[in-house]
Amino acid sequence: MKPIRTLVLAALFPVVTAAAALAAMSPARQAIFDEYLSAARTAEARFEASTVRGETFFRGQHTGGKVDTPSCTSCHTSDLKKPGKSRAGKDIEPMAASVNSKRYTDAADVAKWLKRNCSDVLGRECTAPEKADVLAYLLSL
Amino acid sequence: MRADPNKRIPVWDRLVRTFHWGLVAAVTIALATGFLETASLLDLHVAAGVLIGVLLALRVVWGFTGTTYARFASFVVSPPTLSRHVAAMLRGTAKPHVGHNPLGGWMILSLMTTLTVLLVTGVAVLGGVLKDGPLAPFASFATGRQLKELHELAAFTLLALIGLHVTGIVVESLRTRESLIVAMLRGWKHRRADAEPAPPRQAMPALAGILSLLVLLSAGVATAHFSRLPVAGLPSQPLDTVYAKECGACHSPHHPSIATAATWASVMRGLDRHFGDNASLDAPVATRLAAYLADNGAEHWDTQASNRLARSAATDPLRITATDGWQRLHRHVDKTVFDRKSVGGRVNCSRCHGDAEAGRFDPRAIHIPEEKQTP
Ligand code: HEC
Ligand code: HEC
Repeated sequence: MKPIRTLVLAALFPVVTAAAALAAMSPARQAIFDEYLSAARTAEARFEASTVRGETFFRGQHTGGKVDTPSCTSCHTSDLKKPGKSRAGKDIEPMAASVNSKRYTDAADVAKWLKRNCSDVLGRECTAPEKADVLAYLLSL
Repeated sequence: MRADPNKRIPVWDRLVRTFHWGLVAAVTIALATGFLETASLLDLHVAAGVLIGVLLALRVVWGFTGTTYARFASFVVSPPTLSRHVAAMLRGTAKPHVGHNPLGGWMILSLMTTLTVLLVTGVAVLGGVLKDGPLAPFASFATGRQLKELHELAAFTLLALIGLHVTGIVVESLRTRESLIVAMLRGWKHRRADAEPAPPRQAMPALAGILSLLVLLSAGVATAHFSRLPVAGLPSQPLDTVYAKECGACHSPHHPSIATAATWASVMRGLDRHFGDNASLDAPVATRLAAYLADNGAEHWDTQASNRLARSAATDPLRITATDGWQRLHRHVDKTVFDRKSVGGRVNCSRCHGDAEAGRFDPRAIHIPEEKQTP
């Protein structure tokens, strides 16, 4: 039985850490995150957001989008506590929720950028679970 | 070894000499900065112009109130007298003059007239093209551009006149065996029997002072007054805040005045394929921004930017930086500076133009940021 318990715990671990990180969220952020979570659960009934999947997605190399932006980090860089750079040469404010209190507080802005950037990086819209995972990851930073 | 005072005749008083050499300096600066046509030198060019204006005003007043040889009456002769002098010169029988000879006198008048033309057209160019100064409320961009040609023509005329003036001085110095340049520096010439002195006149320094003060004061007050009038055709509102946020997210926000309503409409139609980026907006926001751009497009303004950037390039109709006007305005800018990280490409107008978001693009507000030093 032990290995199974460890496995279950290991699988739960990211969920738990995500939950812990998300626990301290401002009401505005919580509301936005909850919206994405429930959308994901509409798609997948048992969905739990995972910061690990979110990170893998955010840092991963994708195909289908534009050649010069194969990853979210193409513009946001790998240090999310530092500013990134837009293709048009402007600084992008840091993505980590902990260093940028303005992030993830305006639902329209979050939706707008997910729509634009998923199309730029993947050449398609992101799925509801992908969005919830990425948000969980960025909110945990 | 001082010359015998009785053998000296005072000709150019201190004011005339100060005017002359001050003018030489100011005109040199104005011509040099003008022909270089560098944005950063415009301030100096305008300052030199103002100095020339002040010097001219003082000299004109002194020409009616000053010492004998400062008076216009002493050196401005009628055309028949002038032609008699030229004929005598050609025969080699012309007498030396204590002050300016008739040709010299006409040269002074031509120089002063040309300088006046340069001043008036200069202020009109500043007003029409840069929407600055006392003529800004009255001069359109088109007028300013036309007068710029005249301003340049007058500058070449001035160069030619200066050439003739210097030639005349050399010829006359050789002919009379007395250096006119030295005379203009120390103020006196040697007394000689064959030179006829002009009828002496008493200087009226108090009157000159009052007149000069009046002229300069009224010019100053008029300039200050007209410079403060509202200027039609120059944007005065700050950028719409939603526009500045949405269209300033990836690059500095463009002022609506730098492209026509038609160009903006095309930009807004293609936001999901915006120069390689997806810049799509929610329909209500997009509609609002499209209306804002249409209402404030180049057609509504009369600035250098609205006039010269409005005609889009056939090859790349949505790019302001592809317009012939943009290319021409930046032809002297080193191409590599646009690649600096601190600039981030041609698209970021406000990195270099401190007043880009006000739609002004005054050359005096240009500051190209240095490359950031990354440790
Ligand atoms: C998602 C990022 C993004 C947003 C948002 C965005 N742009 Fe751009 N824009 C770009 C990129 C990238 C370029 C191309 C830059 C380059 O080639 O240097 C560009 C270029 C332009 C140009 C052409 C610049 C030139 O070279 O003359 C115009 C005009 C322009 N944008 C207008 C707008 C307007 C109007 C909006 C708001 C509705 C807007 N942009 C919003 C990314 C964006
Ligand atoms: C790298 C810095 C830089 C960027 C970016 C830049 N400019 Fe300029 N611009 C200059 C310089 C420098 C001059 C003056 C050139 C000269 O003196 O010959 C100038 C001149 C101009 C002028 C004419 C000003 C005058 O009256 O002499 C206009 C208008 C203008 N720029 C518009 C724009 C617009 C619109 C953009 C963005 C699409 C832009 N510029 C981007 C550097 C820049």
